[in-house]
Amino acid sequence: MAAQSLSAVDVAVAASTAEAAGGTPPRRRRGARAERLAPLVLLAPAVLIIAGLRLWPLVLGINFSFTGDGDRNGMMVGFDNYLTLLNDPLFRTALRNVGLLVLLLPVAVAIPGLLATFIYLKVPGHRLYRGVYFFPAVLSPVIVGAIFNLLLAFDGPLNALLGGLGIGPVDWLGDPDVAIFAVVGVHVWATFGMALVVFLAGFATLDSSLLDAAEVDGASLPQTVWHVIIPSLSRTIQFVFVTTMIGMLTSMFGLVYVMTSGGPEGSTYLPEYYVWIQQGQMNQPALASAASTALFLIMLVVGLAQIGILRRAGKED
Amino acid sequence: MKQRTLWSAALVVGLTLTAGCGSASGPGSSSGGSSDKLVVWDWKSGDPKAAGYVQKAKADFAKKHPGVNVEFVAQPFDQYYTLLGAAIQSGKGPDVILFNGGGQIRDRSDALAPLDSYVAEDKQRLAGWDAFTKAGKVYAEPVTLQGHPIYYNKDLYAKAGLNPDAPAKTLDEFIRDCGVITQKTGAKCFALGNKEGIGIQFWLSALGSAVLTPQEYDDWIAGKRNWSSPDVKKIFELWKQAGDSGLNTDGANSTAMFNDAFSAFNSGKAANVIGLMSDVGHWKDFAEFLTPEKVGVMPAPQVNPAAKPSLPYDGGIGYAVAKWTKDPKLAADLVRSLTSTDALKAFYLDGGAIASDTTIDTSEGGPAVKTIVSEVKTGKPALHVALGSKTIDLMGRLSQQLLSGSITVDEVLQQLAASDKTG
Repeated sequence: MAAQSLSAVDVAVAASTAEAAGGTPPRRRRGARAERLAPLVLLAPAVLIIAGLRLWPLVLGINFSFTGDGDRNGMMVGFDNYLTLLNDPLFRTALRNVGLLVLLLPVAVAIPGLLATFIYLKVPGHRLYRGVYFFPAVLSPVIVGAIFNLLLAFDGPLNALLGGLGIGPVDWLGDPDVAIFAVVGVHVWATFGMALVVFLAGFATLDSSLLDAAEVDGASLPQTVWHVIIPSLSRTIQFVFVTTMIGMLTSMFGLVYVMTSGGPEGSTYLPEYYVWIQQGQMNQPALASAASTALFLIMLVVGLAQIGILRRAGKED
Repeated sequence: MKQRTLWSAALVVGLTLTAGCGSASGPGSSSGGSSDKLVVWDWKSGDPKAAGYVQKAKADFAKKHPGVNVEFVAQPFDQYYTLLGAAIQSGKGPDVILFNGGGQIRDRSDALAPLDSYVAEDKQRLAGWDAFTKAGKVYAEPVTLQGHPIYYNKDLYAKAGLNPDAPAKTLDEFIRDCGVITQKTGAKCFALGNKEGIGIQFWLSALGSAVLTPQEYDDWIAGKRNWSSPDVKKIFELWKQAGDSGLNTDGANSTAMFNDAFSAFNSGKAANVIGLMSDVGHWKDFAEFLTPEKVGVMPAPQVNPAAKPSLPYDGGIGYAVAKWTKDPKLAADLVRSLTSTDALKAFYLDGGAIASDTTIDTSEGGPAVKTIVSEVKTGKPALHVALGSKTIDLMGRLSQQLLSGSITVDEVLQQLAASDKTG
């Protein structure tokens, strides 16, 4: 859509240029030149901000990632930092955890989708749930992390509850096989309220006659969800996929920092946390730049893939 | 089609770049450079407990240099070295900088001015210089001493029928006492927090002097570390054994040392804890909960008969002078004011720190502080402080694996030896 309207502008600009070239009187020509420059002038502030405050620092950062740390400060070292990254088991863990986040994405989307369906179908107490579900979304990750640090502590209430049921205590944040799931779970809990609201907005556009028809035809609840609700909401679901993915990749630092500090045994490292540790704790800014560049490339790939998906969804309409 | 791809690429670049918005911005008014104003960066001056200290230091400096304005900028500690790193990269920033001793200052000594010619008079009065020295040059004056005494809860020892004034001398006795305490009171032997991998650092330093021979100890500090020596291996084996045999409080890998492990000690859930001397997790913090008479400090229980247990300590925090300051002499004078006896005394009394000034009277501080101060004279630098920050970080993760049983002591020593060689 955006591309279409942009090419429309192109056509208009081209037309006016052609007109200007076609031997018009001088005054008209000056006016035409102003017209030609106008879009550039109007675009300039935005372009300058993006180029000067975004692209230029990005170039500097990438350039910096090819220099050394410590004794080799300022020297060009080629791809040394990137080789260090590839050989660092911590960075590999961080990348593996990114992969895990992508794999867990369907779960993170399904939960708000399902809960929104129940609210839409007006289960008893749906008004209350609507408010309650959204509540965690207004809390900062640090507060959420602190709350769950208490709840998930080895001698905390959750393990007490499990103990009461006769199940042995689980070291939620101290077991390397469990901790990353605990952190992702808390992240989903803390952020699904937003996705829920988007889903509810999607439901508002749902054609209720379709639901009525399904009911008349005697469709069961799972059948209604699968054959009526999901197809009607495909664009909403895709949008939630994209935003949830971005949220998972860019805003889990606070939770990791508060809940596990990357541990235990480095099992909950994410690229962002790795960058922070290398820059702030290990005093290796160039290596941190290389890690940031790697993270940027990952985001670029994920972002392009998502835009592709969104565009295809737009075409289907 | 090509244009579309281009646009979407540009859009993604734009979005991704915008996602990086809102990063920490540098404080505007806090860079120094002019000669009638000095800017100090630290993470202490905002703390009400340090107010008296800062005031005394400022007054002392104002007497010597009445026309010079001193501005303290308190940074949040968790961002401190990140912000400082940015300042160092740009070659501009504060004139006087607070540092932790050991790796944090040594890694950044390129950005600092050597202070040897200015601080000669203070050399005798203050202790803890080694932590701020690199290649024979002093880069900061110590303010506090930081070390790792083994604290114990005298109350629990008494309840278990043990003599609280005669703690165990050897490790075997110590572990036997722990067994009695656990049996009689239910309290564990050690309050341990190893979520950030700090527990192993404290363990290594607190028990090191009871395992390594004096020669091995001094070699370690001097940088000649033999990771394949049986004594070094013993320290890590003891760490694993303590975990395996249930001496530690539960869930050590998910318990934060600051301050969950210390709370466990305060609330009597464990009889001993390896704590600190200054800042947090120390005699004054514990005394607030347990009262000063109930907090004891014991020397490390002997493991190797050839070892000589001593208090492990170093300079804790200290003020350094940036290389880019206009008048290093002036900045060094401010550093000297910040370590004047009056100022440090205020820090000891209000903040509960063991100050670097050995002439301060600490006789009213309770038995724990008395023991610590008496051991300072024979104390030695802590083992973990001598390690580079990369090795420390690795050791933290490996120690968690030792507790969870997913690695052997030999593998740990191999990895640490490799890291120690490169880092």
